[in-house]
Amino acid sequence: MLYRKMWRDIKNNLSQFITIFLMIMIGIMAYSGIESYMDGMTNTAKKFYKENNLQDVNVLGLMTKDDLNQIKEMNHVKDAELKLSLTATTNKNKTLLLNVIETNNISKFYIMDGEEFQKNSSGVWLDNFYAEENNIKVGDTILVKYESMKLQEEVKGLINVPDHLYDVRDSSELYPDRKEFGFAYISSSEIPESYIKNMISKEKNIEEELIDQIIPNFNYKDYIPWNSIMVDIDQKKNRDGVKNKIEDEIKNAKAIINIEDTSSYVTYQGEIDEGKTYVGVFSGIFLFIAMLSVITTMSRLIRKERVQIGTLKALGFTNRRILFHYIGYGLWISLLATIIGLILGYFVIGKIFINLEMSFFEIPNGKPSMNNTSYFVSLIAILMVCFITYKTGKSILKENPAETLRTKIPKVNGKTLNITKKKIFKKLHFESIWNIRDILRNKMRTFMGVAGVVGCCMLIVCALGMLDSMNFFVKLQFETLYHFDYKLNLKENLNTEELKELYDKYGKNTSKSLGIEIKNKKGIRESNNIFVTDASNYVRFVNRKNEIIPKPKDNGVYITYKLAEKEGYKIGDKITWHIYGEDKYYESKIIGFNKDPQNQNITMTRNYLESLKIDYIPDSLYTNKNLENKKEIKNVETIQNIDNLKEGMEEMLSMMKTMLVLIIGIAILLGTIIIYNLGVLSYAEKEYQFATLKVLGFEDKQIKNIFTKQNNWIAIISIIIGLPLGYYLTDWLFKTAIEEHYDFGASITVRTYIIAAIGTFIVSYIVSKVLSRKIKNIDMVTSLKGNE
Amino acid sequence: MKSYIELKNVKKTYEIGNQKYNALDGIDLEINQGEFVVILGPSGAGKSTLLNLLGGLDKATSGSIKIGENDIAKYNDKELTRYRAHEVGFIFQFYNIMPTLTVEENINLIKDVTNTCKDSKEVLKSVGLLKHANKFPSELSGGEQQRVSIARAIMKNPKVLLCDEPTGALDSETGVEVLKLLREQSDEDTTVIIVTHNTMISEIADRIIKIKNGKVESNEINKHPKKIEEVKW
Repeated sequence: MLYRKMWRDIKNNLSQFITIFLMIMIGIMAYSGIESYMDGMTNTAKKFYKENNLQDVNVLGLMTKDDLNQIKEMNHVKDAELKLSLTATTNKNKTLLLNVIETNNISKFYIMDGEEFQKNSSGVWLDNFYAEENNIKVGDTILVKYESMKLQEEVKGLINVPDHLYDVRDSSELYPDRKEFGFAYISSSEIPESYIKNMISKEKNIEEELIDQIIPNFNYKDYIPWNSIMVDIDQKKNRDGVKNKIEDEIKNAKAIINIEDTSSYVTYQGEIDEGKTYVGVFSGIFLFIAMLSVITTMSRLIRKERVQIGTLKALGFTNRRILFHYIGYGLWISLLATIIGLILGYFVIGKIFINLEMSFFEIPNGKPSMNNTSYFVSLIAILMVCFITYKTGKSILKENPAETLRTKIPKVNGKTLNITKKKIFKKLHFESIWNIRDILRNKMRTFMGVAGVVGCCMLIVCALGMLDSMNFFVKLQFETLYHFDYKLNLKENLNTEELKELYDKYGKNTSKSLGIEIKNKKGIRESNNIFVTDASNYVRFVNRKNEIIPKPKDNGVYITYKLAEKEGYKIGDKITWHIYGEDKYYESKIIGFNKDPQNQNITMTRNYLESLKIDYIPDSLYTNKNLENKKEIKNVETIQNIDNLKEGMEEMLSMMKTMLVLIIGIAILLGTIIIYNLGVLSYAEKEYQFATLKVLGFEDKQIKNIFTKQNNWIAIISIIIGLPLGYYLTDWLFKTAIEEHYDFGASITVRTYIIAAIGTFIVSYIVSKVLSRKIKNIDMVTSLKGNE
Repeated sequence: MKSYIELKNVKKTYEIGNQKYNALDGIDLEINQGEFVVILGPSGAGKSTLLNLLGGLDKATSGSIKIGENDIAKYNDKELTRYRAHEVGFIFQFYNIMPTLTVEENINLIKDVTNTCKDSKEVLKSVGLLKHANKFPSELSGGEQQRVSIARAIMKNPKVLLCDEPTGALDSETGVEVLKLLREQSDEDTTVIIVTHNTMISEIADRIIKIKNGKVESNEINKHPKKIEEVKW
């Protein structure tokens, strides 16, 4: 019978139970949704890396078959494969990272369409995203060009590869342009003998026709200029040992890079790490404010049952039975809400977010994954609701039944309200003083209301602020730092004449990137790079305040703030580094710091580099000449238009926007429900007073004003608190959650604050207005009787 | 003497499910201005319903309720609000005063609904609460709280004072004090109508109306109302 009573009570208080249900459901949905998306990202990659055997290290350098065999023989090496990666172009002037392999046991293809890779098989296996963007299908033929080599290849398969989840043409691009850039794999048997001979002829300065005669038993395949070996090691713990052995024994090895330091891996992992912070922050806040509100409501609902608890007690029901009965109120609602929240979190939030990510990262079978944390958090939510019903019930049961059977008249603590008798308050109108005292009397309810609105306002500021900050970053990067129209990526090792030809046409503003290793203060070596500039007005530098640093000096190096903070460098310190593949270490004096939103590295001038007796052969040239119609330039590998770089970045922002819109949507929805719920509580507690006012002759409009006034105050106070908190949350997220190589801070526009403030206020105002409509229908007689 | 309050065939019917229940079943009565009226009757007789109709808290199903020249049974919500604001004062058994307003603020509240207010200090003095003006209701005794309720009701200088069991929650001594105050209002030409179970109060009334089953059982003039001090409580 009690069971039936419970369901009928729930039915009678349906709107309150619905709001409790919605708050728990949305809180759990947001939490488990983001969690399942992040875990989905992790698990999808783990599975892909494992099943498709991602390499552990890449050995870079001009590698040979002997090197391969030697590495294969080493202890703990499971397997190794040669790879030649070339930046090729197609007949449609697209750029393809052409990979030449012999076998495909490491970083194995995941075939989306077409056939498996076979040793010595003809044809090309093409990046699936690139193929989709360019409408290329299995069976089509594409033309791939690299220097003198022209390959007409049939597309045999469309693939995903575990070390190509994220590919950009150049580090200045942040968002992969799948239409213009992709990767492709061919078998080494497809390399034409003529190309190898041409290469040898150029290198050794001998006639191509004479190669067969000069080199005994010439087999062109032995001369393929492999530029890396992928190594698969049995266990992670053995990796350093293998790396040291390669470093000691393989002379051709110029650099040995852990897979975790490669851009594809780093970017994907960075997305997960960033996301994990968002899980903790966004979904945590969602759940926190939802639970605060739920607890308040649940406790008030049970208090409303006071007389009934007394009646049950008087009828002889045991305390335990009564408690279980009331715990049931919270249990069933929260259980149902968490189950639906978990389902919606997985299927709605998780799927939407992961699908967005999967349009950015090239990885198959991306799906959300629910982990134990979500179940645990759900269980905690249920237990919290049950606990609060238990505690409230218990406190009522402590009284004797006779006491419980009487309605408890809300106490007014004169002492608390005494402050409002002071002179300053005397001048206030009755509405204001009444509301101030109501707030003082109901501190907990007010606190919950403020917390809910602050949380929502903060999330809106944060979500919009992240977009602002990213827009600011795009502006800083592409208008302040990059002060050119085109970047020409030059071919390797151009000679003076070739460079002069380019300088004459496009100017002399160049730069060079050097792959280096830094030996930090503790003696630990870390990969990094040096940007050598001879284009100070085209590639500029800023300080922390985003002010342009005038012409960099030639007597030392500049390092980025974030790198300096990480390693504890100060101006005047010396930084020790060596170029990859060279043994000589240099010690450079740090003469300044610069802020780089994208890379945490070292910058020096060409003059400084040359003062260290290192040759300066530029790899990039910057120009403001109009190259709109230029598709190809001699000795230039790729031509990058700054507008395209910017567009790529903006495209990435649009993906972020979708996620943020969803977060804002949930924040507004949750905020609305919380404000509505607390409004209902507040209204219910004041109804008898409103009824009295009505009896006294107050017009509905006057009473409505009293009611909305308090809610408006709460909204305004919450907005005042929420706006700066939103800023700090955004700044904190950018500083801690973002990948190590980025350096962003919050840069929020006034517009965002205005939107968040007005948006929050409007929601609160509308909810108050809707609730205040109840005043018109107050039945004075019933309300006053109810109070008796 | 022309009566100030005149009810003709007033009915109030409630529908509970498919059942109709007549709380008032054709009430006819007349009350003169300045009379001290006591309405008696058992529980469920319709006393409070009658009081609610007189006070404009509820609307009659049929019949007319003339207060002065106006038939308030024909009033719409807005007119009823105006009527409550200007012409009628209420006193409840459980006081219904604003717990978060001080005594004086509770009384001054009336200034928000009507311009014809008395001076609040005078009113407080008349009910003996001047020294408690700055206290919150929770700092007062039950009798004092009821006096706040009376002060609030008389603050607007009402033509009619409606009291629903005004002494129901008070001990006899405090009850006497409250009744004295109400009697004083009647002496100043305010019509005071008290609904009560307490038959003793009828001894001090000018008119005694008995209600039973939603009808007027009797409506008698008490030719010799006793002084409050003369009644044995």
